[in-house]
Order: sequence, then structure tokens, then C-alpha cells
Amino acid sequence: MMGVLASPLTLSAQDYMSIKAVPDTMAIRIGEQFKVMLDARVQTYAIPGVHFKIVFPSLPDSFNHFELIGQSEIDTTGSNNVEKVFRQTVTLTSFDSGRWEVPPMKFEVFSATDGSYDSVFTKPFAIDVNTVAVDTSKAFKPIKPLRTVKWLWTDYILYFAAGLTLLAVIIILIWFARQKKVPKYVAPPPAETPYDAAMRQLRQLQNEKAWNNGDIKTYYTQLTDILRVYIEKQFRIPALEQTTAELLQNIKPITILNQQRDKLSGILTLADLAKFAKLQPAPQEHEQCLQTAIEIVEWSKPRAVAEEAKQEGTENPKA
Amino acid sequence: MENTSYDIRQLNEKIHQASSFVDLLQMELGKAIVGQKYMVERLLIGLLAQGHVLLEGVPGLAKTLSIKSLSQAINAKFSRIQFTPDLLPADVVGTMIYNQQKNEFVVRRGPIFANFILADEINRAPAKVQSALLEAMQERQITIGDTTFKLEEPFLVLATQNPIEQEGTYTLPEAQVDRFMLKVVIGYPTKEEERMIIRQNLNPEGMTRISPIIDPADIMNARKLVREVYMDEKIERYIPDVVFATRNPEEYKLQKLKPLIAYGGSPRASINLALASKAYAFMKRRGYVIPEDVRSVCFDVMRHRVGLTYEAEAENVTSENILSEILNAVEVP
Repeated sequence: MMGVLASPLTLSAQDYMSIKAVPDTMAIRIGEQFKVMLDARVQTYAIPGVHFKIVFPSLPDSFNHFELIGQSEIDTTGSNNVEKVFRQTVTLTSFDSGRWEVPPMKFEVFSATDGSYDSVFTKPFAIDVNTVAVDTSKAFKPIKPLRTVKWLWTDYILYFAAGLTLLAVIIILIWFARQKKVPKYVAPPPAETPYDAAMRQLRQLQNEKAWNNGDIKTYYTQLTDILRVYIEKQFRIPALEQTTAELLQNIKPITILNQQRDKLSGILTLADLAKFAKLQPAPQEHEQCLQTAIEIVEWSKPRAVAEEAKQEGTENPKA
Repeated sequence: MENTSYDIRQLNEKIHQASSFVDLLQMELGKAIVGQKYMVERLLIGLLAQGHVLLEGVPGLAKTLSIKSLSQAINAKFSRIQFTPDLLPADVVGTMIYNQQKNEFVVRRGPIFANFILADEINRAPAKVQSALLEAMQERQITIGDTTFKLEEPFLVLATQNPIEQEGTYTLPEAQVDRFMLKVVIGYPTKEEERMIIRQNLNPEGMTRISPIIDPADIMNARKLVREVYMDEKIERYIPDVVFATRNPEEYKLQKLKPLIAYGGSPRASINLALASKAYAFMKRRGYVIPEDVRSVCFDVMRHRVGLTYEAEAENVTSENILSEILNAVEVP
């Protein structure tokens, strides 16, 4: 151990301080890492009342064919009242084959009491960096294939957890959004049957005595429209898109309507004359037509329902 | 001036009396023509509504006989022009011929100078000849050299097209086809009708002779009356509805027809539909038009005025299919 006395301390550093650098191996393969343990011990009883600091060597990234891999924190475990222990592990490697020397490393001891300092150097040591022995007489081997790592559910548990959380958040958001959008249930008004609609409109015409308004054409147009809409909805015949002759032809297969064919023909023919030939039927004919239309609707309604029920097989033959 | 109820009743009676010849005419024609009532009815519509008729049907369906018989029954002049690829316009309308004795050019009138013309297989002649005929149809006059000749009324052209032999034909362009008021598609007679045709043709006394029922002047008077037939505004609105549905089907909830129609009916279609409806009402001895009249003539007036797209042709959709859809969708007044 070498020391340089340049301190106002009464003792030289090597009198109260011992340092060493110990490698874990003296020979490595090229690129292999090795550790050097730097150890500094200070006998505190030799310098009572002095406050000091130990400064460990500052190593460059690369020196003398060695590469610095890493340095551990300074460890002071093992210190007691009479001796302070400082340890640090330095990891080195080398990529050059040969015998290389780790040079002396400088430790500095600094007195906080009076500002003096002293330094101590470690002993150098050599490390053999060996190449890997290659048997050149043998053929080159291919590069090893990729190795499959075994699947472990623990590797993915975080992803599963994150996915489940996201799903839960989405479901909650959708649920909240729907809760807001769903309108309050309002009971729909009861649907009016074709029969009810036709009767209501015919009664309205009757009460208003629409033929007295002077516009006979409009009255007959309304009357025939009510009948055509009723036939279209009740018997599913496109009556609004058919002429009188076509309609009278198409009601033939519907027995209950066909039974009223003459009456229907009378109304439609008279209405056609009023609508398209400016015929002015006699006043009593207006009311008579309306009455006949009501009779047709009344006649066809209950039977239509019964026939429909019969077709669907809901009618009880024993009843 | 608006017609009153009284006017229409009078008109109705007048037309009822004046149209009585239609039944007589049909009966007389029925002596020579077995079946084909539909075609005869359409010929009369064309005659009364002052429109021309394009007939599509295979040969041998009594087309010539029908128009010849009609001309005999009306006591009118008839001529038949067989359209061929080498026909010239002068062969149809006439030409100027040099008279050596008089040392001058004289007009030699073509076969178009008649009341009833049968233009047989019109699509076999080149466009120039077709154009000459169609111009005469439209203008009802012919110009030869410096002289213009008015064609004698009634003037009715019945043109035929053969739907099966299309090679070497000159298809009539849409603009020319539009000049025909009606396009009538005729089919074969029934078995019973064909039996009667055989019997009639093998009659040792020869074909039945058609007697004149009326004069051309009566037809002219009837034409005036046809135009007087009352058409209510409800019908006047119904006719454009049908025609507009061929142009803008989507406005009548017929979106599916939009890609099938290349072009719809022209305003000429509306005019002809109204005129033909009036003529039909007249033939039914009515002084007013009802929706049935419009629907009865709609196919014949409209079928050649609805252009089909390639898509429609690929799907074998015909103009009749489209018109059926339209008539089933447009509300009847």
C-alpha cells in the first residue's frame, strides 16, 4: 500500500486506513464479466475526534482494455466503534484477449475538521482474458433456432385484468346512456278497427249532412273514399288503386262483400257519375247512398270477423 | 266555359246517339275478321282520336285484312306499302314525272294519298323513308316539287313491326315511335277462333264482302264529338299522375322502378292518353270519361313511351310490367 503524506493529520493515511481491491477471479473468457470488491477500513480509534470522508476511486467507462459495466452503492455494514468499513463492488469485462493489468486505484480520505486530505492506492493486479477454444477441424454449426418460452398465465394476468376493467367501464357507460335515452312508456291509444273508422266517418257525414253544402262531388268523393279505405283495410283489397269495375270484379271471391255487390255497385256507379259526369242525383239519393254504405259496412263487419276467425281456426265448432 | 250538369246530360245523349255507328262498324268488321276484337277496337280509337297506330305482331294475324275491311266499311281509300330496304321516299310520297307529250313535269302521287295506309314492316325501310312517312303522319300534308298537298281526312296510318326477325332492320328511333298514338301488341287467336278462320277462308262463296256503314264525313263529325267528351278535373289530374310516375317513380313510392326506367312518357303521352280515353269513352257511348277509360288505353298509349334500362332488359322486365306496377300504385280518383 502506498500513501502520500500531504496532510496536516499527525498520522499518515496508511497508519489508520487499510484498502484492498480483490477480484473474484484472475482469469475470464473474452466478454465475461468479473467483479472487483473495493474494501476500505478506517481505524477510528487512531484518529479520535476527526470527521472524515472516504472518496472511492472514480473509474472511467473504459480503461486499459477493461470496460466498466457497473458500480454498486457503497456498503458500510460491518462498521463498529473502533473501525469504519466501506465496500463497493465494481463489475468489469474485457473484449481483448491477453493479460491485462488493473492499475492502482486511488482512495482519498478527506478531513472535514481541518480540510486536509490524504490518498492511498490499491495494488495493481492482472487478469487473464482468454479466448474460447474453437475446434477448427469440425464443421460450422448452424445458428440455434429460437427457443419457445413456456406460456404462463401469470404473464398475461395484467392484460386480462385491464381488459376486464375496460369492458366493465364500457358496459356501465352504455347502461347509463340507455337509462337516459329510454323514454317513459306511454300507453298507445287503442287502434281503431276499419269498421270503427268507417262507421265514425259515415256517422260524421250523416250528422254534418254534407250533401247540403252544395258540393255534391266532394260529398260523393268522401263517401266512396270511406268505403274504399274500409274495403282495403278490412279485406286487404287495394280498393283505392282500383276503378269501380275492377273493384266490383275483385270482391267476387269475398262472399260477404259479394252479397252486397249490387248495393256497392249502385253507390260507386252513382258516385262516378257525380264525380266524373257532373250528375246531380236527386236529394233523397244522397242520404239513401249514405244509408246503403252504412248497411254494407254493418253487414260485412261481424261476418268478416267471424270468417277471419274461422280461417285462422280459432272458432270452436262445438260452440 | 264550364259545363253544367244539364250540358253534360245533353252531351251524353248526343254522344249516345252519335256513337251508335261504332257497334254497327264492329259488327260489320266482325263478319270478315274473326277474333282480334282488341286490335279492331284500338284501330277505331286511333281513327276517332286522330292518332296513328303501331302494330306489333307476327305475320298472318289479319292486320292487312283489318285495315282493309275498316276502309271498306267507312267507304274510304286504302293503300298498302310494303317497306323494304331498297324503298325510296318518292315510292311513298310520290314524285314529279316528265310528260313528253305535254312537255312538262306532272306530279305522280304516291300510295300515301289514301285515307288508310298500311305501312307493312316499317322497320325494314331505311331511316329516310321512315322519316318521310312519319313527317306526313305528323303534318298531314306532302310536298312534291313546289306543290304542297293536304292529305285527305280521315288519315290513319297503321304501321306494323315484326318482333321476331330483327336482322337487317332499321329500328324506329324513340322520337319517331312517340308519334304513334298507340302501340298495340297482338297475339294469336284462340283455338275456336282459328277454327272459324279456317271455315271462313275455305268458304266456297269466297270471303264475306264488307258493306259501307258510314262515310268519312261521319268520322270527321265523330272526331269533333270525341273532343267534346267531358273530362273532369279529377281525371285530368289522374292522367299526369300516371305519366309522371313513369318519370319519377320514387314520388309514388315506387323507388324499385327507378333503376329500370331510362326515360318516362313525354307531354305528348299525356295528350294522347287523354285523347284516347275520350275516344274510348265515346266508343262506350258515354259523354264523359271515367278512370276505367284511362286504364283501358293506358298500356297501348304508354308502352312505347317508357324507355327501359339495360338493367331492366337483363332482368326481363317489360314496359308492361312497369306500367302495371304504376297503375297499381297510383290512386284512382
